[in-house]
Amino acid sequence: MAVSPFASRSPSLTVSSPNAALRLRAAAAQNASGPVATAKSVYSADRELTEQLNDDVRQKYVKDKRLGEGTYAIVYLGYLRDNPSSYVAIKKIKVNAEYKDGLTMDAIREVKYLQELSHPNVIALHDVFSSKDQNLNLVLEFLPRGDLEMLIKDTAIHYGAADVKAWMGMLARGVWFCHENFVLHRDIKPNNLLIASDGEVKLADFGLARSFADPYLNMTHQVITRWYRPPELLYGARQYSGAVDVWSMGMVFAELLLRIPFVAGNTDVDQITKICEAFGTPTEENWPGVTELPNYIPPDNNHLIPLQGREFFLRQFPTAGPVGADLLMSMCALDPRKRSTAVQALRHAWWTIEPRPTKNEDLPQKSGAKKMGEDLGRRGGEIDDGMFKNAARQLDFGAMK
Amino acid sequence: MAANYWASTQRRHWLFSREALTDVRERLREKDKVTHSQFPLPDQRLLNIYFNQQLIKLGKRMTTRQQAIATAQVYLKRFYTKNEIRQTNPYLVLTTAFYLACKMEECPQHIRFVVGEARGLWPDFITPDVAKLGECEFALISEMHSQLIVHHPYRTLSELQTELALTSDEVALAWSVINDHYLTDLPLLHPPHVIAIMAIIVAVVFKPSPPGAYLGSAQTALASTMREGQGMNMLAALTDKPGSGPPKIQKLVAWLAESEVDIKAVIECTQELLSLYEVWEQYSEKHCKELIGRMVKSKNLDK
Repeated sequence: MAVSPFASRSPSLTVSSPNAALRLRAAAAQNASGPVATAKSVYSADRELTEQLNDDVRQKYVKDKRLGEGTYAIVYLGYLRDNPSSYVAIKKIKVNAEYKDGLTMDAIREVKYLQELSHPNVIALHDVFSSKDQNLNLVLEFLPRGDLEMLIKDTAIHYGAADVKAWMGMLARGVWFCHENFVLHRDIKPNNLLIASDGEVKLADFGLARSFADPYLNMTHQVITRWYRPPELLYGARQYSGAVDVWSMGMVFAELLLRIPFVAGNTDVDQITKICEAFGTPTEENWPGVTELPNYIPPDNNHLIPLQGREFFLRQFPTAGPVGADLLMSMCALDPRKRSTAVQALRHAWWTIEPRPTKNEDLPQKSGAKKMGEDLGRRGGEIDDGMFKNAARQLDFGAMK
Repeated sequence: MAANYWASTQRRHWLFSREALTDVRERLREKDKVTHSQFPLPDQRLLNIYFNQQLIKLGKRMTTRQQAIATAQVYLKRFYTKNEIRQTNPYLVLTTAFYLACKMEECPQHIRFVVGEARGLWPDFITPDVAKLGECEFALISEMHSQLIVHHPYRTLSELQTELALTSDEVALAWSVINDHYLTDLPLLHPPHVIAIMAIIVAVVFKPSPPGAYLGSAQTALASTMREGQGMNMLAALTDKPGSGPPKIQKLVAWLAESEVDIKAVIECTQELLSLYEVWEQYSEKHCKELIGRMVKSKNLDK
């Protein structure tokens, strides 16, 4: 395990700051003139125990240097007071700044899902506590070895099919676990796949996650960073499934093999064009119902590209081998109903044939690893490039009904 | 629904035994006896009915889902196991619970809109300052230890619809019974599948005639039927040997016997529902409103 200094993985209790509670109390007495003092004393007596609990949690950790800052959070390195060598990442959610609009959906989603999900390939939430300046602090597992994006981009690192198999295996297990628990991640991409000190890959950043919608209820299609976004979302589908994450997984797989993003569109329309060029043009024949999707763009009939077969994947991804190419192809089916599910992907023959996946301790790693939280300046769903600013995430309220 | 109920924070941290719940409330009362005698409030269930009606009013002009209202009701219950209601402004707390629940159930509303609606309904108790709601949200999340996912019985009901061959009338009635169970302590006492099964049994066994629309609550449809006692006898038969009663009920009994669902718990839930419908007769919106209003207002003035 990376840094998992706690006997129990279940996040422990936390309690609000006295401040918030007092103001809540004060809000009850909005026009109060003199009574606040009495009220305060009554209240603090009430709250001794709960405050104590919160303090206990807070006292467990020491906040160290700042690792990064984002739109809604600042990440600090921290460690256990009792054991300075056990690191954690403390993500402080900026509540005060956000008061005018309440807590953002990102923050809410992150807390909501990480509180319930516990799996070796999902970042662990150890604790939540509030600090006196009314901030919510998430104590997360510290993952010091950067992310998959760094490994892909670092030309000094050489890796092979066995390494890719190990990384993809961990990713697939993490995604499977989310889907098994009815959670869609909706922002799978190499830089959200963090690496623990023991080499384990962990799915992080649940700021766009949500639970499966009830049948026939709509969800927003404005999710997933563009390069990893499946065609059904680009066409504006409002009802979708775990297949969206599987597509992203396929794109990560392709990128690990090629070491550059496989389909990297400059705009949403360009993304569709590039997907068509790479995999074939979606038609009613290969994807029944596609023409009825809200943002469907009829293709130019003179440029219909036939659906790519096995040979194409083998040619494009020779390092994957025929069986690996077959798995990749199953993750990249245009029609989400034909795409493999996370379980099906995990049952694929590729995992059990040679080469065997590299053991965690032997996986290549970056030397001067970038610290966790460094890229928090970006919001989820965005690409690290000014050109694509505000690309994916416009979670406006109207779109979410 | 998200994540696994059996591993959920709801099951691990927010499921009480009846004794534990009484104990928690008793301790809150002990701490502040004076206020308690000064500001008597109606039966908890009557208060819940009032809060529920207020939540429905609040959600009226927004596209909210029943499930968000249900989540808000559970948040209120959780919050008031940690805080004495007489120390809070219930209108602010319920508005906040509603606002947070909407975000949680993926039907978010803008904070300004929520505050605007709340002010329209309770101008004397809600300030136009949206920061108040933001602060209260923080307090609510903290008091609930950031454990925000609530598992509801609705999903179980839809899943069992085909398996138990329920008619649409039965499903509608069971759905209303589930709506009603939020007016009791049941969401803190039993897991959602037990509630769903209770609702199904009530719908099938006590099927009122003529069937019709239940308008959210099953109270009017069920109260008298259930009191006649006939249904209770039939329910008792559930625990006896199967083989009596109409085929549909026999089938249900057989299914239950195989399901390993805690039948005792189901019966306890039914009784709780019955007593809710009894106490409902005393409900007076005006009375609740006055008592809460007096409490909130005079706490400003006298202390």
